[in-house]
Amino acid sequence: MNDRLAIRGYLQKLLRQKGDPGGFTDSDSLIVTGRLESVDTLEVVVFLEEQFQIDFADRGFDQNDLDSVDSIMSLVESR
Amino acid sequence: MQIVPQLDRYPRLVALAQTNIGKVAAIAAFGLLLQLNGSRVSLELTATAGLITLFPQHRKLLLGVASACWLLFYSGRAGLGLIQRVAAAEGFQTGPALLCACVLAFAGMFWALGLFLRMVRRQRKNLIGQRPVLVMIASFLCLLMAAGVAPLHGVAKLTLWILLALACPYLWLFAYAIADYTSKTPDPYPGNFGTFFPFWMGSATPIGKGAAFLRKVEAHTPDDLAVSQLKAIKLLIWLLALNVLLVAIRAAVYGSAPVVIWTCCKALGFRLPSLLAPTLEAALDQSAAGTRVPLHLAWASVLMHFVEATLAMTIKGNTIVACCRMAGFRIFRNTYKPFYSTTVAEFWNRFYYYFKELLAEFFFFPAYVRYFKKYRKLRLIAATIAAATLGNMIYHFCLNIEYVFDLGLGKALAGFQVYTCYALVLGAAIAISQLRGRRGPAGSLPLHRRAMAVAGVLAFYCLLEIFDYDGRSHTLRTHLAFFWNLFSFA
Repeated sequence: MNDRLAIRGYLQKLLRQKGDPGGFTDSDSLIVTGRLESVDTLEVVVFLEEQFQIDFADRGFDQNDLDSVDSIMSLVESR
Repeated sequence: MQIVPQLDRYPRLVALAQTNIGKVAAIAAFGLLLQLNGSRVSLELTATAGLITLFPQHRKLLLGVASACWLLFYSGRAGLGLIQRVAAAEGFQTGPALLCACVLAFAGMFWALGLFLRMVRRQRKNLIGQRPVLVMIASFLCLLMAAGVAPLHGVAKLTLWILLALACPYLWLFAYAIADYTSKTPDPYPGNFGTFFPFWMGSATPIGKGAAFLRKVEAHTPDDLAVSQLKAIKLLIWLLALNVLLVAIRAAVYGSAPVVIWTCCKALGFRLPSLLAPTLEAALDQSAAGTRVPLHLAWASVLMHFVEATLAMTIKGNTIVACCRMAGFRIFRNTYKPFYSTTVAEFWNRFYYYFKELLAEFFFFPAYVRYFKKYRKLRLIAATIAAATLGNMIYHFCLNIEYVFDLGLGKALAGFQVYTCYALVLGAAIAISQLRGRRGPAGSLPLHRRAMAVAGVLAFYCLLEIFDYDGRSHTLRTHLAFFWNLFSFA
């Protein structure tokens, strides 16, 4: 549960920095809807590498894995 | 201020677009607007969009059939000119037998893609399974190099060039197909042929990315489809306004207006005022021939080239976006308010979104997650150079393979110097822009600082356009001389 909250909090902070105060559910797409752009994805990558020790070089990188809180959670759980 | 009404936000209009009359009206409006925007295949596109609108339950099948027809009758002809030239040079007939061989090779290419996709999924541990796109692009480049340097003749040479010429326009569609097929939930191939190779594709850059992205933005309800189609119509109305603007600017700067307008003006006894500036290409030709272009005309040609390139990119790319939306896929615009950009990186994102996404997907992210992970800034610089410089160069070199046939590999590479310079400066500028970070949400800057930032970004790209040249006629020296002459006011 803490992991989910941490991911949610981070995405919320990222959106606020972009001037997007809108809410989102755990299943809401953030990249496909354009709320997060490629440059934001980089920050999510660094966050996941640092917080959850995910190595994208090993597992392969797919932007769809970072599209929502749910998809990031499945990534974290499958590490 | 909205120039085009937000059609997709009127609930009554959305409801109307779901009725039979509304659907017919939407299809008619789409066809008319495509025609007015100068599409040469408006009838075929309208018919396809019409069938998808009237029979949305068969969208997958209709998309597949439309894509197959599109590949066979239009897009598949892209490399035919080069193949005919190779055949003629090798002493082969260029008639029906060659055409049959091309059709067979074309079908074989898509069959081979299917085999490759299955191989990628089965062999996850080796290089093909782990870096399939890299393997495909590297194989294409190796074949191209072999075609340029190997002393091949006759059937072997013709076969190699048929493969290269046919594969060249689809290279990046194959890349997206591979990326989708290696994802967790791939579309079956060739069952979903229509989203792997969509019929609206009119460019080597896959607008709408690949099947994985299209799956996520597909309209699943009549309401979604109506909104997507109204967005398509709204976009085409905006493009019509831009087309009118482009014609007016061309007339005012180059003195080139459509015959209809000249005839009307002549009949009314009115003479269109024009600066009669040369196009940038003509100005560079003059400069290469040693003729100095007057300073005001040189500046006019540079400024006009930038405006024209931006408008042309907006019109071409977004027409494809409109076709995609009409088919029920609500994708982002290809060009979105580039003149609002306050950073170099932001302009790059807004100017040619799907090209930027292609470079990000196949060059930036693979480099970013692998190299210099302990050095945050170096990591960002390396990944940006990998995408905006290296990826950009590979994309453009592979796009114009006829230079390798005409000039040989060595001269084709040497002649690529102007674009190499362009890609290096672009990559460095985007890397610096990304290191400086974002400027915060729109409107967070005071007006005068925002205006200064926008002006700086536009000035940079306007001057950089002088080097955005992937032909082989001019040397870097010619472009540099022209560039310096812009600032020699003596």
